[in-house]
Amino acid sequence: MKRSNFLIGALSGLSVVGTTDHILAKALAQSPLPGLPAASDRVLVVINFQGGNDGLNTVVPFANPDYYRYRPSLGIPANDVLRIDDQVGLNPALGPFKKLYDAGNVAIVQGVGYPDPDHSHFRSTEIWQTAEPKGYASTGWIGRYLDDAGLPKDNLFNGVALANVLPELMIAQRTDVPAIDALRGYGLTSDKNGANREAFHQFVSDATVPFRSPYLAHVAEIEDHAQRGAEELPKLVAGYKPEATYPATPLGRSLALAAQIVGSRLGTRVIYVQHGSFDTHVTQKQTQDRLLADFANAIAAFYADLSAHGNANRVLTMTFSEFGRRVAENASRGTDHGEAAPVFLIGGGVKGGVYGTHPDLGRLAMGNLAYTTDFRSVYATVLERWLARPSTAIVGGSFPTIAALA
Amino acid sequence: MPTTAAPVSASASASFRPAGTLDASRALAPYAGPWNRRLAAHLLRRAGFGGSPADVERLASMSPSDAVASLIRFPDTSSLPAAPPLETPPSRPLGIFRNAAPGMAADDATVSARKAFQMANNQNRRRNLIAMQTWWLERMIATPAPLQEKMALFWHGHFTSSPEKGTTAQELFAQNRLFREYALGNVKQLTLHVSQDPAMLRYLDNNVNVKAHPNENYARELMELFTLGIGNYTEQDIRESARAFTGWTFRREPDGSGSFFDNRGQHDDGTKTFLGRSGTFTGTDVVDIIFGQPACARFFATKLLAFFVYNDPEPQLVDQVAALLRKNGYELQPVMATLLRSNVFFSDRAYRALVKSPVDFVVGTHQLFGVPKVVPQELAALRAMGQVLFYPPNVKGWDGGSAWLNSQTLLTRENFANAVAQNPATMTTATWIAPTLKTMDPRQIAFQLTDTMLQGDVSSAATAQLVSYLGGAGQVALSQLSYENVDERVRSAAYLTMAMPAYQLA
Repeated sequence: MKRSNFLIGALSGLSVVGTTDHILAKALAQSPLPGLPAASDRVLVVINFQGGNDGLNTVVPFANPDYYRYRPSLGIPANDVLRIDDQVGLNPALGPFKKLYDAGNVAIVQGVGYPDPDHSHFRSTEIWQTAEPKGYASTGWIGRYLDDAGLPKDNLFNGVALANVLPELMIAQRTDVPAIDALRGYGLTSDKNGANREAFHQFVSDATVPFRSPYLAHVAEIEDHAQRGAEELPKLVAGYKPEATYPATPLGRSLALAAQIVGSRLGTRVIYVQHGSFDTHVTQKQTQDRLLADFANAIAAFYADLSAHGNANRVLTMTFSEFGRRVAENASRGTDHGEAAPVFLIGGGVKGGVYGTHPDLGRLAMGNLAYTTDFRSVYATVLERWLARPSTAIVGGSFPTIAALA
Repeated sequence: MPTTAAPVSASASASFRPAGTLDASRALAPYAGPWNRRLAAHLLRRAGFGGSPADVERLASMSPSDAVASLIRFPDTSSLPAAPPLETPPSRPLGIFRNAAPGMAADDATVSARKAFQMANNQNRRRNLIAMQTWWLERMIATPAPLQEKMALFWHGHFTSSPEKGTTAQELFAQNRLFREYALGNVKQLTLHVSQDPAMLRYLDNNVNVKAHPNENYARELMELFTLGIGNYTEQDIRESARAFTGWTFRREPDGSGSFFDNRGQHDDGTKTFLGRSGTFTGTDVVDIIFGQPACARFFATKLLAFFVYNDPEPQLVDQVAALLRKNGYELQPVMATLLRSNVFFSDRAYRALVKSPVDFVVGTHQLFGVPKVVPQELAALRAMGQVLFYPPNVKGWDGGSAWLNSQTLLTRENFANAVAQNPATMTTATWIAPTLKTMDPRQIAFQLTDTMLQGDVSSAATAQLVSYLGGAGQVALSQLSYENVDERVRSAAYLTMAMPAYQLA
């Protein structure tokens, strides 16, 4: 493990706790970092890099000649890489993100994956979202957290998905998670008419129907959530004024809304955001550069906004992608579906640095990077050290945590 | 890194078995109680998608037994479009898919050829998928044999395949035709056909199951999810049966269609020991042996009951249906005839005891309002409701039941219902609405709406509210029902009727 300088609250210019002392780092890992909020006030933002982001061209092993051998046209020249140390550096499109890294607010976990990798987008996404690489789970890992964390049952916003379809990650058994594409257009089209709104409200809770159904109460409850949630959310977040300029992209808009939800203190514990598509089979550079630059600009604006409202230490952001990509570039200046890739942990509670071991480019598994960190270790870290919940039942086993969080 | 592996915790889930007690002694005996539109509509929601008010009327005018018979014996469907308009996939230029040799960059010509091919291929797949989804939904809406389509949907969610691994639309459509052909056919024969179906061979990797490197994916899912269920076989049975399936693969024609190919050269001819028997088994023998297991009949009985009758059926009921399946040699038609005619099927416990699937909801709404065509926005709505035809979420199929219900899916359902009610064409296509408009009487209109759409499954309080809504309560302008506002008000009232809980329940 490596640690670089880190700094807490750098964005708001508060305090600096910089050191490379490993002993001090260890000591800090045992107790919460100063200035961190109680677990009940913390939020996890999960960003899904959809389509399979190429990890090798995100965190670039520029000192390894094999990298350039496998990537004759796609390899990023060592001089262009935003260097982290003498081995790896970030894609040059990640400039604003590199500043967060330099401020000590980013942990990079290398080589994250799972056993017996599946190269299908669909299946691999499902594995990442359910944390179940062998069988088929009906709930997501965040869904199981929301079900079991003892959160207030009457809060409609314990978890919020900023997407037009509820992701598997947030499917729960006892927690109804709203999926919101954007505040505008969210809700019942009929609610524009006051009489309709009132009538709808009465009808969906019609409990004295002349039939019995095991689902009746459930239907009425969810209908009520749907209407009330759509009605209340815009009002609840209306008082929040963003203090940063977000890129005018879907990711920028999602993170702006995420900051608004965090800042409005709705008791939300997890927010899901998606970004993509990274499925770069053909002429990868232009697509990936655009998406990484968008990510870097949006995440920098997000933390600047959070900082300005005193929320930077309340929010941990975790990225993931269903897989990394094939080590050798293909004949179309793109890359095909691969396996292990790095995961980012971002926020004021993060101990910045590079964690885990970079997969060995000299020992590929059928042309792919073999994982060195089980993805459930990352989840266990987030669950135990950020959300303060036991992880074993949620991720289906006992996995070691990573010292990247306080 | 991983230290211990344990299955993901299955949090205690609420049971959605109906309240009350099963009368096991009379459960499968023919129903002989009162017969009315309410029960005819129940039958049509389960053995179809709800039907039009005229369909309900027609079934209500028969005896229960004749009504079931009219659904079980499929009427001629030759007037329906036989196949979706599928485009042939673009042909693959030679040589564009090899990897660049280490140290060698790709040349521009190869890059642009590959780019062009992949773009054409993706567009072709997208158009074909939309064509197939639209075709199937419109067929479900229009068919005079709704149970045939309902069974095809059942099998689609049971023997799952998707385009995910590069299966062509032509191959998926062939599988869909198989499900329709075997809708109420022999389950064992269907299982054998599915085991040789190109879309399935690809989806569960049997096309790479060869003697030297057996791939267990199909063998495992065949037993775990398709026929027996966990606990009724061992890991050794999976390994042995995977060997029996070696060499079962398919060939793809340039037009995108596939055909089964038994590659004897890749088949393991050795002796296998499977579920207690030994021999030089092939895949056919494995299917035979599986269908000799009592667990197999119970597995299908449970699935059929949960799909057609109610969730979490009692073990005694499962055993009775399982015995029926075995007695009939897995011929489904007589089994479904008994089940759909039975006391348990028409009992209060089964009534409105299922959640409509998104397909039930959308197709049923089309039938109710007489709208034959499906537009692309509806495919997007179905996705947001959680069901994409030809794209089951995984090999387990759709979970169904309470998994259909969350705020996101219900908002989409309600907004879909509102869009249908507000569609200008609705007032002419839904021929049963026009006469109510003329009455200009809130009471009559409310009765007509709740009676036709919900068979009166609404509380008197809600009916009173609907009457006062129609009469103008809470409306800003033109409060009393009049020629100026009746159209708009009835549309909204129809929408609000669809918002009542009964409309979500099958």
